[in-house]
This record gives sequence, C-alpha cells and structure tokens, in this order.
Amino acid sequence: MPQFEQVEVFSSLIFWSLLSFGILFFLLKRYAFPPILEALESREKKIRGDIDGAEKLREEARVLKENLEQELKSAHDKAKTIVQMANSESKKIQEKTLEETQAKVRQMQNDVEREMETSRNKLLGEIRSYTAALTIASTEKFLKKALDDKEKKRLAEESIEEVIKEMQQRTN
Amino acid sequence: MDSPLHHFELHPIIPISVMGVDLSINKAILAMWIGCALVFGLFMLAGKKGGSVVPSKLQSIFEIAMEFIQGMVEEFIGKEEGKKYFSFIASLFIFILTCNLIGLIPGSYTITSQLAVTGAFAFGIFILTLVIGFAKHGMHFLSILVPPGVPKIMIPLMVPIEIISMLARPISLSVRLFANMTAGHTVLAVLFGLAMSASIWIGWMPFGFTVIINGLEIAIAFIQAYIFTTLTCVYIGDVIKLH
Repeated sequence: MPQFEQVEVFSSLIFWSLLSFGILFFLLKRYAFPPILEALESREKKIRGDIDGAEKLREEARVLKENLEQELKSAHDKAKTIVQMANSESKKIQEKTLEETQAKVRQMQNDVEREMETSRNKLLGEIRSYTAALTIASTEKFLKKALDDKEKKRLAEESIEEVIKEMQQRTN
Repeated sequence: MDSPLHHFELHPIIPISVMGVDLSINKAILAMWIGCALVFGLFMLAGKKGGSVVPSKLQSIFEIAMEFIQGMVEEFIGKEEGKKYFSFIASLFIFILTCNLIGLIPGSYTITSQLAVTGAFAFGIFILTLVIGFAKHGMHFLSILVPPGVPKIMIPLMVPIEIISMLARPISLSVRLFANMTAGHTVLAVLFGLAMSASIWIGWMPFGFTVIINGLEIAIAFIQAYIFTTLTCVYIGDVIKLH
C-alpha cells in the first residue's frame, strides 16, 4: 500500500496537515465562529426575552381581565342597588304625594264644610232676625188698627218691603 | 489496468526540503488547502453581516452545524468545561469532514486516507488529553488507571490493562478513519476502473455502482468525521471528569 510504502512523504504530510489545521483553527476561532455563535446567542436571548415578555403580558392581561370582571360585577350590583333604591324611593314619594293630596283634599273638604256651616248659620241668624223684625213690624201694624183683609194684605206687603229694604241696606 | 491503490501514491508538485526534512507540496496537501480555503470562505460568507438574527440559508446551515457540535461537546465534556474546547472540537470536525469530502471529487485526494496524517492527529489528541488531565488534576490524574470500585488486589492487573486501553485509543482512532477512507476510495477506484475498462454494454453497471457508492461515501465522510470528533470529546471528557 502506498500509504505504508511512501515513507518519504510522511514528514511533509504530517507537517502541512498539522500546520494547516492549526491555521484553520486559529482563523475559524478568530473570525468565523464568533459572528455565528453571537447570532445564535442573541437569537436565543431574543426568543427567551420574547417568551418571557409574552408570558408577562399574558399574566397582566389575566389580572386585568379579572379586575375588569370584578369591576363589571360590582357595577352590575351597584346598578341593581340603585334601581332598587330608585324604585323604593319613587314608591315612597308616590305614597307621600298621595297622602298629601288626600290630606289636602280632606282639608279643603273640611274648609268648605266649615264655610258652608258658617254661611248657613249666618243665613239662619239673619233669617231669624228678619223674621223677628217682620213679625214685630206686622204685629205692630195689626195692633194699631183693625184692618180688613185687603188692608192686612197691604200691610203685610209693606212689612215685607221694609224688611227687604233693610236687608238690602245691610248687604250693601 | 492500474492498481486501485495507485490512486494513493503521492508525488511532489513543489519540492521543498528544510534541513534535510522533505516538506514538499503534493496533491494531498493542495487538495487539503483548497478544502480548508473553501470552508473558511463559506464560513466568512455565512457570518459576513456579523451573523444576523434572521439568518440566511447559508448561515442557517452553519448554525445547525455549530449547534450540533455544541450539543456533542456539552454532552461529553460538560456545559461549562465544553465552552473551552468548543472551538477546537468544531475546527477538528470541520477539518476532517472537509478533507474527507474533498477527496470525493474525481482527481482530488483525501489526506485522511494517509495513516501518517490520521496517526499524527490521533497522537496529538492523545498528548492533549494527557496535558489537560495533568493540568487539571495533577498527579491525581493517574487515578484514571484504576477504575472506581476495583478491589485493591486487582489493581496490579488493572493498571497495565488501563494503560494498554489508553494507548489503544489513538491507534484505533487513527486506523478507523484511515481504513474507512482508504476502503471507500479503493472500492470507488475498482468500480470506476471496471466501468472504464468494460465495454459500454456492461460498463454502465459498475459506473452506476460508482455513483451509488459515491453517495454512500459522502455519508461515510460525515459519519467518520463525527466518530473521530465524538471520540475526541469522550477522551477529553474522561480526563476532565476522571471517572
């Protein structure tokens, strides 16, 4: 086999292969590996950072959603309470208004009744006094003279006229 | 018909002699240089924009290769210790793979089919592992010759066995690569020789096989580079962890 027989080429093969490997090792380590390894590392960092960021955002979104749901629930409860309160308030106002109106009506009714009573009493008093005056006046006339029916009628008319006049004067 | 081993003969192209030592440039060295220049050029092209976060196709290929080697180094040497040796292991893998592949181009030469070269690399790695072992553990490194849990009475027997096993490592490492490369190229040379010497009616058959075997050789080039590098990692990992 030439690989065993050509001993004279061993020195050059060993020397140049080791030297070439050494140079290639140096060049690759110095110039070729760093950019690729850095790119790998920065990509790994970026992906890791992105995943962490996404995880963080997801957590924030979850907390935010929970808070919003809680707020929404409390807003619902609050709205429900407000509606209930408004209902009871309006009911109260309604009842109060009804009661007030009823009281007012009752009051007005009482006032009117009282006024009517007063007016009636006043009227009755007046009628009584006029009747008395009329009776007195008629009696006076009857006593003064015995009169015929025609005269009686005339005297009664006269007395009525006087009473009406007196009433009119009092009214005025 | 030429001998299929004729392909492995080397003749000086640029004769150089330094103090009586022959350092002539031959076909194997030229092929190795072309391969190394090509791979370095490709690496520079891949990382020309300083390695962008969104990689190009070429950068992606090299990134996959780097990650693959990184995984191998971390597995056998360790995550922290592995960082120190990553560049060396990656360069070794790329160098051997380039040398293996460049020889598949017709008319080229695989320098890894020379036992002197694979032997020199394997011996160099063996020395390197000893240096790392003594530098890291001092004289305690010699405890690598006594596997843990061995009864004291067995130690005189185990130490020579372990020494032989350690010495066998560079031999197996170098012979494995050399033998695989030589065998593959010999088979290719035989088949191609048959294809050339036979008439066209029958010659297409060995030629077809040459093409198939050539494809297989590409896979073997990768596998052998992987095995050589993995075993280097294992040897370095062994001397770092001791047991």
